[in-house]
Amino acid sequence: MRGLFHKVPMYWGLAIVLFMLLFPFVNDSRSTLILLTQIFIFAIFAMSFDILLGYTGIVSFGHCMFFGIGAYSTAIIFNQLEANLLTFMIGLVIGIALSVLVSYIIGLLSLRLKSHFYAMLTLAVSQLFLVLAEKWRGVTHGGDGFTFSVPDLFKDRTSFYYITLLSVAVVFILLKLFTESSTGKVLKAISQNEHRAEALGYKTLHYKLIASVTAGVAASFSGALYAVSLRFINTNVFSIEVTLDALLMTMIGGLGTLAGAIAGAGIIEFLRHYLSELAMAYPIFERWTIILGFLYIVVLLGFPSGLAGFIKKLTLKKKRKVKKKEELKKIA
Amino acid sequence: MSLLKLDNLETYLEQYHILQGVSMSVEEGSITVLFGRNGAGKTTTLRSIMGFNPSTTGTVHFHNQNISKLSTHLISRKGIGYVPENQGIFSGLTVEETLNLAKAKSAGETEAKMEWMLQLFPDLKKFWRKKSGLLSGGQKQMLAIARAYINGDGLLLIDEPSKGLSPIMVEKLMESLLKMKEKTTILLVEQNFLMASQIGDYFYIMDDGKIVHEGLMEDLKEDKETCQKYLGIA
Amino acid sequence: MEVFINLLVNGVSTGLLIFLLAAGLTLIFGLMSVLNFAHGGLFVWGAFSGAWIFTETNSFLLAIAGAILIGMGLGWVMERFLIRPVYGNHVRQLLITLGGMLILSESIKIFWGPNPIRVNMPGWLEGSYQFDGIIIIKYRVFVIVIGLLLYLALWLLLRHTQIGLMIRAGVMDKEMVQALGINVKGLFTFVFLLGAALAALGGALLAPYSGVVFAEMGMQYAILAFIVVIIGGMGSLQGSALASLIVGVAGAFAAYFMPDLSLALNMLLLVIVLLVKPTGLLGEKGSAV
Ligand SMILES: Nc1ncnc2c1ncn2[C@@H]1O[C@H](COP(=O)(O)OP(=O)(O)OP(=O)(O)O)[C@@H](O)[C@H]1O
Ligand SMILES: [Mg+2]
Repeated sequence: MRGLFHKVPMYWGLAIVLFMLLFPFVNDSRSTLILLTQIFIFAIFAMSFDILLGYTGIVSFGHCMFFGIGAYSTAIIFNQLEANLLTFMIGLVIGIALSVLVSYIIGLLSLRLKSHFYAMLTLAVSQLFLVLAEKWRGVTHGGDGFTFSVPDLFKDRTSFYYITLLSVAVVFILLKLFTESSTGKVLKAISQNEHRAEALGYKTLHYKLIASVTAGVAASFSGALYAVSLRFINTNVFSIEVTLDALLMTMIGGLGTLAGAIAGAGIIEFLRHYLSELAMAYPIFERWTIILGFLYIVVLLGFPSGLAGFIKKLTLKKKRKVKKKEELKKIA
Repeated sequence: MSLLKLDNLETYLEQYHILQGVSMSVEEGSITVLFGRNGAGKTTTLRSIMGFNPSTTGTVHFHNQNISKLSTHLISRKGIGYVPENQGIFSGLTVEETLNLAKAKSAGETEAKMEWMLQLFPDLKKFWRKKSGLLSGGQKQMLAIARAYINGDGLLLIDEPSKGLSPIMVEKLMESLLKMKEKTTILLVEQNFLMASQIGDYFYIMDDGKIVHEGLMEDLKEDKETCQKYLGIA
Repeated sequence: MEVFINLLVNGVSTGLLIFLLAAGLTLIFGLMSVLNFAHGGLFVWGAFSGAWIFTETNSFLLAIAGAILIGMGLGWVMERFLIRPVYGNHVRQLLITLGGMLILSESIKIFWGPNPIRVNMPGWLEGSYQFDGIIIIKYRVFVIVIGLLLYLALWLLLRHTQIGLMIRAGVMDKEMVQALGINVKGLFTFVFLLGAALAALGGALLAPYSGVVFAEMGMQYAILAFIVVIIGGMGSLQGSALASLIVGVAGAFAAYFMPDLSLALNMLLLVIVLLVKPTGLLGEKGSAV
């Protein structure tokens, strides 16, 4: 716990959380609250992806499957049972259990593969889920999807806002603890040089499995919140765009920082919101996804360590300057 | 006049400082041998010359021309033939295809060179249509040398050709290299002192990424102390 | 019997279309270890631009030529500006080619709108042949003929030309090829453009065959091509050809007998191959053909 507060710029974190806590009192515009709720949900999803790509160096192109599993589990349960909190819990547990199972099986079968094979395989499996959701009409209503009702606590935008805010904070702390645990250190070693980690005697497959199950669980949780926030679901949750969202958010925010993933989620969701509003006035912005695509490539080519890396570089420079000044003073 | 001249080469592999200022020169028409214990940096020296692991500082001159900033294929086209440590055989190509590939971007009279190589290594002619991967170790080494000779023009870099060969094969290899010396300059990396000392004119000894000794091969044979210290022979 | 033959013809023609996509993927991977996730984008661009040129000019040959040229143009841009800058870094390569895919399929929607568009069959390829009461659609035979001719052409290129020799050698040992004075970067550009041309051609041929084209098609076919390339063995052209036929025919039969399971079937094939022979059917490293 001490490590946690030591490393995170804690004051900033607290300030932001405080601001977010007070925000609904300052501004109760419905659309802003919805936007922020959306950002929180995707922040959880992006953090889960960061565990894979940023902390362990696993490239998965099928992360949407866990998001979708969580979303569908919750949605289907709400559709079948009464809309109360217990139902939500049941849905959540089912989604998480399924995600654990799926991520464990996929990982066991394919995590030993080279990165490009793994990326390809996860992409293909996620598409399999998409097809499954489309074909299993009796339960999923296919591509059209279905609406369902949720408990009043979730219906109220303000209370749901607080629930998602709390969720982000809790998931952030849990994942942070996870990455700073001894397991997390091994993961970092694997991402830097898997062979070396292996040579040091770590069973890398075992650790990679832990990482992907953890990521799967967190993604499933975010998917469940997502379904609740829309009170509607269709096969889009399994689309490749969802995976791309996670990629974009983590890349733009900065890999391997968790906080970067949150910032990335904020930036992307805000941009998306803004661009789709622009699209109403200027139809050319209807295809705003392509703008995000270009942004993603620019970040990959030009700022491979994302926003977090950029800030780190700036502060380092500042520190160095300060140091230099001090040294100069000493000499003088 | 020296054909190849290395000046103060420094090369890093990943973060490791492998070559720490290597200077040497190879005289035209000679066989120059580079000795050194395992991990001394011999292979890295050849790879730096070829541009696979370009040096960060220092220069390589070939025919008095600085080639240290060129990329590998251009270095090769200047006329340097290369036999890598483990032969670098294209196992799926036949002998014929391999040697044709060597001719593709080669300077000089490729036909004549090809003919001479087949004369020198008749086995290659015999297994002309065989997949290189199926050749014996010795035959692979011949193929690798023939490929480098046909491709090169004036200089051959050969990395430990005697590795894994039977004494008879080593004997044969020595003969061939001596014959080839008539037509090309050779920079030879070797651990086999007995062999190299018989065919070499000049030597360098490398240790920990630096040249620690150089001179005429004849003198080295007399110099028991150096032999023992760096090459582990009495 | 009739059903059987029809399914076989369907399967083989679909398989050969997948092969056009897979051939480029496998060669690019073999030579440069780049798994190009944007390859399906070239395919779908081929499909749309081919369909568009055909409606505009009413010439199928022009449509195909145009699609190939556009595919190669896009391929050139992709190789130059996306793949080369991250060459040698596997993770970034994967990430950037997926971004390329996003841009290619989104830009389709900019030019042709978000909805599927209908494509007509060229008149001279309409209709069907009849043998003993068995009806075979002309266009499928056309696709099979073109596919086989292209396979033959690729085989000849790799086997009997100097650049083919260089490519095969490059797949086995890139460094050594450079040491023989061959510019591997140039070789890569060549192979990339070749792959792009084949992918675009595959798309252009598919358009009239399926009658309708949509942006997401690129990803769907790319996934099939990935499966094929892995089943066949990365870097092996013959392996890809064989696996394309297997996937195509199995898909056709599955679509007829158990339509809901056809993608699952391919995944099953893939998993079996990965577990039993991770190098793929013909993927002994060292052979590109
Ligand atoms: N890719 C690499 N990354 C880091 N270090 C390397 C790499 N390749 C080689 N080295 C190190 O560089 C040093 C020199 O290696 P090099 O292969 O040049 O030695 P050598 O003299 O050819 O040895 P040998 O006689 O065993 O072939 C060694 O210490 C080796 O561990
Ligand atoms: Mg060596």
